[in-house]
Amino acid sequence: MPKTNDRPDCGGIKWRHRLSVRLGVVFSVFSVLIFGMTLGYNYYQARNMITAKMEIQARNLVSATAGRVETVVASVTALTESMALSLELFPFNNTHLLDFIKISVLSHPDVFGSAVAFEPSVNGRFQGPYAPYYYRTRSGTEFINLADNFDYMCRDWFQIPKELGKTEWSEPYYDEGGGNILMATCSVPFYEVQNNQKRFSGIVTADISLKRLTDIVSSIKVLKTGYGFLLSRNGTFLAHPRQDIIMNESLFSLAEARGSRELRDIGRRMAAGESGFIPFQTFAGVQSWMYYAPLQHVGWTLGVVFPEDELFSDIRTLTMTMAAMGFGGVLLLMIVVVFIAKSVTNPIRALAAASDKIAGGDFEARLPESRSKDEVGLLTRDFQVMRDSLKDHIQLLTETTAARERMESELQIAHDIQMSILPKTFPPFPTRDEFDLFALIIPAREVGGDFYDFFQLNDNLLCFVIGDVSGKGVPAALFMAVTKTLIKSFAKEDVTPEEILSHVNEELAAENDACMFVTLFCGFLNTSNGEIHYANAGHNPPLVVNKNGTVKWLPRAKSLVAGAMPGIRYEGEHLKLLPGDSLFLYTDGVTEAMNHDDDLFSEKRLEKDLAFSAGLEIKDTLHNVMGSIQQFSDGAPQTDDITMMMIRYSG
Amino acid sequence: MNIQTRQAGRATVIAVFGKVDAMTAPAFETSVSDLIAEGQLCLAIDLGGVEYISSAGLRVILAAAKALKAKDGMLLLANARGPVQEVFEISGFGSVFNLYDSVEAALETAG
Repeated sequence: MPKTNDRPDCGGIKWRHRLSVRLGVVFSVFSVLIFGMTLGYNYYQARNMITAKMEIQARNLVSATAGRVETVVASVTALTESMALSLELFPFNNTHLLDFIKISVLSHPDVFGSAVAFEPSVNGRFQGPYAPYYYRTRSGTEFINLADNFDYMCRDWFQIPKELGKTEWSEPYYDEGGGNILMATCSVPFYEVQNNQKRFSGIVTADISLKRLTDIVSSIKVLKTGYGFLLSRNGTFLAHPRQDIIMNESLFSLAEARGSRELRDIGRRMAAGESGFIPFQTFAGVQSWMYYAPLQHVGWTLGVVFPEDELFSDIRTLTMTMAAMGFGGVLLLMIVVVFIAKSVTNPIRALAAASDKIAGGDFEARLPESRSKDEVGLLTRDFQVMRDSLKDHIQLLTETTAARERMESELQIAHDIQMSILPKTFPPFPTRDEFDLFALIIPAREVGGDFYDFFQLNDNLLCFVIGDVSGKGVPAALFMAVTKTLIKSFAKEDVTPEEILSHVNEELAAENDACMFVTLFCGFLNTSNGEIHYANAGHNPPLVVNKNGTVKWLPRAKSLVAGAMPGIRYEGEHLKLLPGDSLFLYTDGVTEAMNHDDDLFSEKRLEKDLAFSAGLEIKDTLHNVMGSIQQFSDGAPQTDDITMMMIRYSG
Repeated sequence: MNIQTRQAGRATVIAVFGKVDAMTAPAFETSVSDLIAEGQLCLAIDLGGVEYISSAGLRVILAAAKALKAKDGMLLLANARGPVQEVFEISGFGSVFNLYDSVEAALETAG
């Protein structure tokens, strides 16, 4: 057996071909497939649901935060606008003005500072540019005249509301002249009405510290690392967990740096005051989702960002847990399937192993126990029955074979006995020079019915006989033995051959239910003169061969075979052999010997062979004829006994 | 060997074809003895198709003749040709059985 990786106890079946393994593998693969698909679908749906839910949450969060920011912004706007209105409606001197500004700053906690910047060209009350500014300090307020520090009239917070004639929030900026903090300014123009003419008089400003607003935004915490951010109108970061980009980077500068068209588009939509919920990659490269919405008064954008990982971390954990449980379950199931399959295939394997032994001839091989009532148990029981009947059959066959062999050997013995009753000693009468006799019998495989015999009736009278019993086998052999015995008992010197045949016929025909018969040629040779007195009962006519090779057939007998029916009279015939002449007697096994084409050896070939053999010893002649027959039949099976007898009269 | 039987008046004609030897004779014997057992008393055996007949075949004919004779029936042989006729002559069967040249001639005898 070649060395393989297969386990030796598999009954020659490779482990991967075993039913249990195949069943287990197929089952597992399909289970995993179905489970994986379900899990995948579940994950996908849960993700969508969570995303949708998150959008709502983000929107709520943003709108809530926006509300808080807007409250601050709106109150500051309202304060500024009411200051402007007061300046338009009520007369004031410088002391009033300064008190008014100071009180406004102190009364409003969200206001860092406030200024009233007058338009110098039209101002009659104050000389030159005048812009009193109060701002909050730790101890109270500080006053400066902005006009002392810089030319305020060029500033955006002055220019833009003046030109537009309406309230305006500035872009956030660092107030270097005033509080040196990040702030945004609400600017409201105010006017002086004289003669029904409205003249621009100046700008009231209120500064709001962005710290308060960014604190609100920074207080946003989403999941673990989610955060809020605030963008100004032009996309500059006002609030962001990364302090370094506040006021230093804008969405557009980041889009430029990253080369991201997408980010720029987002920036544009924000600037247009839209809101949205989009997937988004943070500066740290974390895949996230972002919700953004505008702040109405200031045109800023408030947004929240939450990392996808954290967003989906719960369902990921859930999915992983489910997968682990699922695969664990499949594994368990596979073990169970393999176990069940094994419990089915183990008896089959045992049965296969037993059947291998039985196939090898070991009928005592133990079959596995078949207690179960399932198909395998049924198979095992059937197999048991089959094994038993096979065993019985083989035993019977063995006995039959033995019996047949015994019978064959008995037939062989019968055959040997049959042959032994024929005279076999040649020359039979070595002291007699006046005649010679030789006989040859080649029995067919079965016991046949051919025979010959010769014996001296007296010194000058030789009785010879050749016969062929109908059929083959033991009946023919017995019939032949009886015939031979009868002839010998009837043959006397004062009896003629025709009388012998008549006697034999009567004896054989009586009680011959099997209707067997025998052809007989019986003759007496007078050894002193070569005269032959013979009678023929249905036997093939013999031939007379003279020393020159002339061959002559004796006339056909036309009298019935012996044993067929009683009351037959046989005719005696006479023949005289000249010195050197021979009488050749044979049975039809000679002329009816066949070759492979079923052609007969025929009388013609016999005649030719005899003529060719003239002058040879009779023994050699018969062997020549036999050789010729064997050459003719060329190995074709011999179906009948071949018997030849030749008597030569020498004178 | 092949055997065909047909009814012709009160006689049954058995036409035999091929070789009748020790191997085929039992089948020949069975069909003949079956007919006799059925009560057929006149059998005409047509030997025209027989190529060769051995002593075993002759025995079947002899047994049939004896069985029919015991029942007062008769066996007719017709159409023996060539080697078959020779066998009948040599064995002397020709002298105890009537051999007819044709089935018709045999049936005429049977009446």
